[in-house]
Amino acid sequence: MAKDLSCLQSELLRRQLPCGGWAALVSSAQAALEPTCYSLLAMNTNTGPTIQTALRFLLRAQSSNGSWPVFLGDDPDGSWVTSLVTIALRDDIDAIPARLNGFHWLLDASGKEASWLGRWKFRTTDRHVRFDPDRYGWPWIPDTVSWVVPTAFAILALRQLPCTCGGFEQIPGRIEGGIAMLLDRACPTGGWNAGNGVVYGEPVAPHPDDTAIALLALRHHGEDPAVQKARKYLEDVAPRLRSPWSLAWTILALAAHQRPVAALRAALAAFPELMQTEDTSTLALACLALDHVRSLVSFGVDR
Amino acid sequence: MSLTRRDFLVGSVAVAAGTSVTAPFFWPKHHALHPMARSRVAILKAERYASDLEQLLAAGLREFRVNVRDKRVVLKPNLVDYLPGDAINTHPMLVRAAVEVFRRMGARSVTVAEGPGHQRDTQLVLAESRYQSFLREDRIRFVDLNRDELVRTRLRASYTGMKELWLPRAVLEADFLVSMPKIKTHHWSGVTLSMKNMFGIVPGARYGWPKNILHWKGITESILDLCATVPIHFVIADGIVAMEGNGPLNGTPRSLNEVVLADDPVAADATSARLMGFEPARIAHVREGARFLGNAGPDHIDQVGEMPSTSSVPFRVVPEFQHLHAR
Repeated sequence: MAKDLSCLQSELLRRQLPCGGWAALVSSAQAALEPTCYSLLAMNTNTGPTIQTALRFLLRAQSSNGSWPVFLGDDPDGSWVTSLVTIALRDDIDAIPARLNGFHWLLDASGKEASWLGRWKFRTTDRHVRFDPDRYGWPWIPDTVSWVVPTAFAILALRQLPCTCGGFEQIPGRIEGGIAMLLDRACPTGGWNAGNGVVYGEPVAPHPDDTAIALLALRHHGEDPAVQKARKYLEDVAPRLRSPWSLAWTILALAAHQRPVAALRAALAAFPELMQTEDTSTLALACLALDHVRSLVSFGVDR
Repeated sequence: MSLTRRDFLVGSVAVAAGTSVTAPFFWPKHHALHPMARSRVAILKAERYASDLEQLLAAGLREFRVNVRDKRVVLKPNLVDYLPGDAINTHPMLVRAAVEVFRRMGARSVTVAEGPGHQRDTQLVLAESRYQSFLREDRIRFVDLNRDELVRTRLRASYTGMKELWLPRAVLEADFLVSMPKIKTHHWSGVTLSMKNMFGIVPGARYGWPKNILHWKGITESILDLCATVPIHFVIADGIVAMEGNGPLNGTPRSLNEVVLADDPVAADATSARLMGFEPARIAHVREGARFLGNAGPDHIDQVGEMPSTSSVPFRVVPEFQHLHAR
């Protein structure tokens, strides 16, 4: 397995762009922040120069409002990847001011349900998706509502701040609100999808990756019935997963919740054509899942 | 009565303010795109997903005298998510048949491209929807539009009020874009056909899953802005097994046994709507699209092959869209 991991890391290294970042697809030269964050987290400590150029890239890419864009050249309004970048920069002392600015931006960001007008709309005219508009988290981009994945990543990011003083007093409340939102948006059959559990009175199916990311954020809420149901769903679906992206997230989530993952890791390592996968985030996530103990520490999720 | 300089200034400011507030309501929301005077639609009978689809498509395309020689063809199926059953996504056998036919017609390249709107794991959707195996076997290039390289693109209509969107390079560089929707009802827009299918080109990595900004800016408005900006050159709509009821995900499969071909997305959607038992003029984006993107009225559509007939039993829809039923 160690050999598999090192081969995959070599391939990741090969894909790094001269600017220090990684593109989303191997055929692209446009540096994107999500694959860069996963790749940076997936690199081991023997690749010093790679890490340094990646860190510098992330610092250069920060917008003046403290957020990070989705890709280099994107508009500076801010996006969900801000959470991921603050996680990826966690071990870089030079990045502390940038991370703090990122945390401030995250605290100011919220789904449209946070406004009274948004809540009023969802209580009166827009009621086909079942959810409690009083419980909100984070959107993918400004001016949209909260969704499961950006909320889970924001919770993981904000939990990494060592203290809630100096302008960060709202953090516990925002984390609590985000957790309440995640629990509210769970699918009736267990697990999560993007955030629509019931539409027009009918349950919508969960997704393995969304469920796994939510479970990482809810690591300390294992007794909650929604979390238990989600874990059961993920354990049931895991052996049949036919994609390395979903399998990698599943391994991380189940490991965080103290579930055995050895067989799943073997299945991931044996995935056909993993090295040739077009999607660099998938490649990086496979590395993170094969090295899950270290990776969970990076995500701030202690086992 | 004498007009002082002060009165004049106050009056001028008032007129300017009034104009700036009201003028946008009167400005046209689209440029004249000069759609074709007449459109062509073919309705092909197909009882099942089988290997003879290739022959069927080849014969249908011959009627249109489509020329894709040396062109980069991009096929955009509808792969929104995966749930067991055939009714959610454009069937892989139809896409495979289309790839083969366009290759034989001399296309420089044929790419399948999609950015699923619900599911972040595109590879999982491809694997579960049985796309992955044929893409590999036939060496067909697939581009994940949720993660492709992005180009800032000025919108060519202004229904949403958005000036621009980041759109994937693979679609913008296509010489011949084929929208391949699944014929379905949709709980937010009434139907999802070739025009609504264009939501899949909006990149999830930039705008999220689902592409929530389009919902906030208005689904009808977003469809029109997208279709004005990225022209659809041809439509191959999968209505062999369609979907009715609470689409696009939780509806019921409905055998329609038809494949709809068209050289105009508005004509394709109007015809598909008629096949579903709907009145096209009651579908907001079809009605508005007929003003500048294509033709919806039967008088401007030349029918190739079978004539469209309204479904003897119209497709079921959620209560908000009962008014779509033709009476």
